[in-house]
Amino acid sequence: MVSIQRILHRPETRFMLLGLPAVLFVIVFLLLPIVSVIVFSFWRTESYEIYADWNLDNYRTVLFEGTYLTFLWRSIVTAVIVTGACLLYAWPVAYFIAKYGGRYRLLLVLALAAPFFTGAVLRLAALQAIMGPIGVINMALGLIGLPPIEFLMFNRIASGIGIAYLYLPFMVTAIYLSLLNFNFQLLNVAKVNGARPWRAFLTVTWPLNWIGTAIGITLVFIPCLAESITPTFLGGPSGKLYGSVLGLQFDQTGTWALGSAMGVILFAVCCVVIGIMWLTINLKRSGFTGAGR
Amino acid sequence: MANAGNVAVGIYDATKRFGRTTAVHRANLEIRQGEFFSLLGPSGSGKTTLLRIIAGLEDPDEGRVVIDGREVTGLPPYVRKVGMVFQDFLLFPHMTVGENIQFPLRMQGASKAERDERLAWIAKLLHIDGFEERYPHQLSGGQQQRVALARGLISRPALLLLDEPLANLDRELRKEMEVEVRRYQRELGIPFIYVTHNQEEALTMSDRIAVMRNGSFEQVAPKVEVYSDPATAFVASFVGHANRMRGRVSAVEGGRARLDWNGVQLAIPAVAGLAAGGAADYFVKCEHLRVAAGSEAATAGHNRLDGTLRDVIFKGQIADYIVVLANGAEIVVSEAAGLPRVKAGDAVAVTWAPEAGRGFAAEG
Repeated sequence: MVSIQRILHRPETRFMLLGLPAVLFVIVFLLLPIVSVIVFSFWRTESYEIYADWNLDNYRTVLFEGTYLTFLWRSIVTAVIVTGACLLYAWPVAYFIAKYGGRYRLLLVLALAAPFFTGAVLRLAALQAIMGPIGVINMALGLIGLPPIEFLMFNRIASGIGIAYLYLPFMVTAIYLSLLNFNFQLLNVAKVNGARPWRAFLTVTWPLNWIGTAIGITLVFIPCLAESITPTFLGGPSGKLYGSVLGLQFDQTGTWALGSAMGVILFAVCCVVIGIMWLTINLKRSGFTGAGR
Repeated sequence: MANAGNVAVGIYDATKRFGRTTAVHRANLEIRQGEFFSLLGPSGSGKTTLLRIIAGLEDPDEGRVVIDGREVTGLPPYVRKVGMVFQDFLLFPHMTVGENIQFPLRMQGASKAERDERLAWIAKLLHIDGFEERYPHQLSGGQQQRVALARGLISRPALLLLDEPLANLDRELRKEMEVEVRRYQRELGIPFIYVTHNQEEALTMSDRIAVMRNGSFEQVAPKVEVYSDPATAFVASFVGHANRMRGRVSAVEGGRARLDWNGVQLAIPAVAGLAAGGAADYFVKCEHLRVAAGSEAATAGHNRLDGTLRDVIFKGQIADYIVVLANGAEIVVSEAAGLPRVKAGDAVAVTWAPEAGRGFAAEG
């Protein structure tokens, strides 16, 4: 008879005990929800009840009834534009902090997270107070006798600005962390060897920081696709996105099966995006030493 | 100095300040075509700053830089057509060896055929052919340094700047590379400006050496002259291994002065600035001293110090003989190892000709 003590001291037992929390986490919070959503997406909802009769109607509705695809397409376009804007804005910010931040670097990066110190709703209310019809910008314009800018509120531009504002810190942080490991001396090497500043950036800085940038792009693009709160507050009727419509299926119309199908499709799109980003990364060309001989 | 057409690089009255410190102070220098020139000095002496001024990585606050007869002061580095090799190799980690080496040609817009031809040529010259497809991290330190050299040389620049390129290599490899670097310079005929704090490197490779301290030149001269005829007390103490004797000048007569060093009277060559009553430093290189048993008589006119041989440090061909004098001072003598006539504990005499050393009026 092997005593319990002996079993506990076996390496295999320890391995299992230590690994258990991680495995449980993945199962409970990742696999179960995904599996259940996938299962629901093939079921049917009627009058706030869900029935387990297997069918493809939900997918047919989402993929062939124009409205849902329109929302999906609108979300993708918004995500592309917002990600691009974040990229253009984040690079100089991250570059400046990494190169000239000195001992205040960490503080500056933490300051970027300031919007997260308050809740999402308060953050959006603040944006309304700045960009809204009676917000700071339009009041200032009124004071100097100019007409108000109307495109700043309750449309897709407004919700785009709101989403970009929300996710910009992720992009900056990802690029900044990458630049921390970047040897700026390499730029001197490039310049001495005949590279003009733009050429040096494109041939040295950009490729050596591509992984960080790609992570930033993914971190902004993916939540952008699923974004629902911001368009609800800032988007107005024309600014409604896929994520908002998806949310409606659960908290208003009670069509969970349809909502699940929408979720599965969103999940698939995200997988495609991550796959594309992965394809752009060549570990050998990343500057990571020791990767892939 | 040589006529203007022969000057590869001219630096005129260059001054560079960082905040309150003056890194380079009114530097004037002309480097000739085909010359191997070293900037030698301790860290913080301004040698790297001067190199960066030539490269265009720093702009001088005052003064001018002329490369190949063209004024380049204020021009950015990418139009200066100089090559540069850095201390940490600084190869581009995301490019293969071949791409690294071809980088300058690519920036100049050279055709693929030309780039490949040049790559084959330089890789063969530097014995790195066969490594073109590898990445820098797959190479040894010595190979990486060769790649860095190849990148600096492939476009046949007007000159090559080298910033302590061998500092990160181990001693064996450094010795080997010193010879190699000198060979490439001879074969290509491009002037090299070599920054180092290592006097052996400078002495092995250079035609001329500029010894720098606190942003100024102490001496600019052919290497043998820098070694055997130092212009200042600093050069005398920094280049080679010398014994320093600080004392008071008691008399100056003819070509000689008398130095009172801790109660011992030494004859030293008189130079401008030495006056009776003034303090002076007298430097004599360890290998110019001779050690002999105390009973042996010194050659007439030579200086003689009596003491006890404390230790013999064997170094191979030569040995350092540490002699403790009656006044407590230590003198180091480098002589052929295994002198049979003296051993530790013996009473010995150290002798040398006064002209073997150099005296300077003491600073401060």
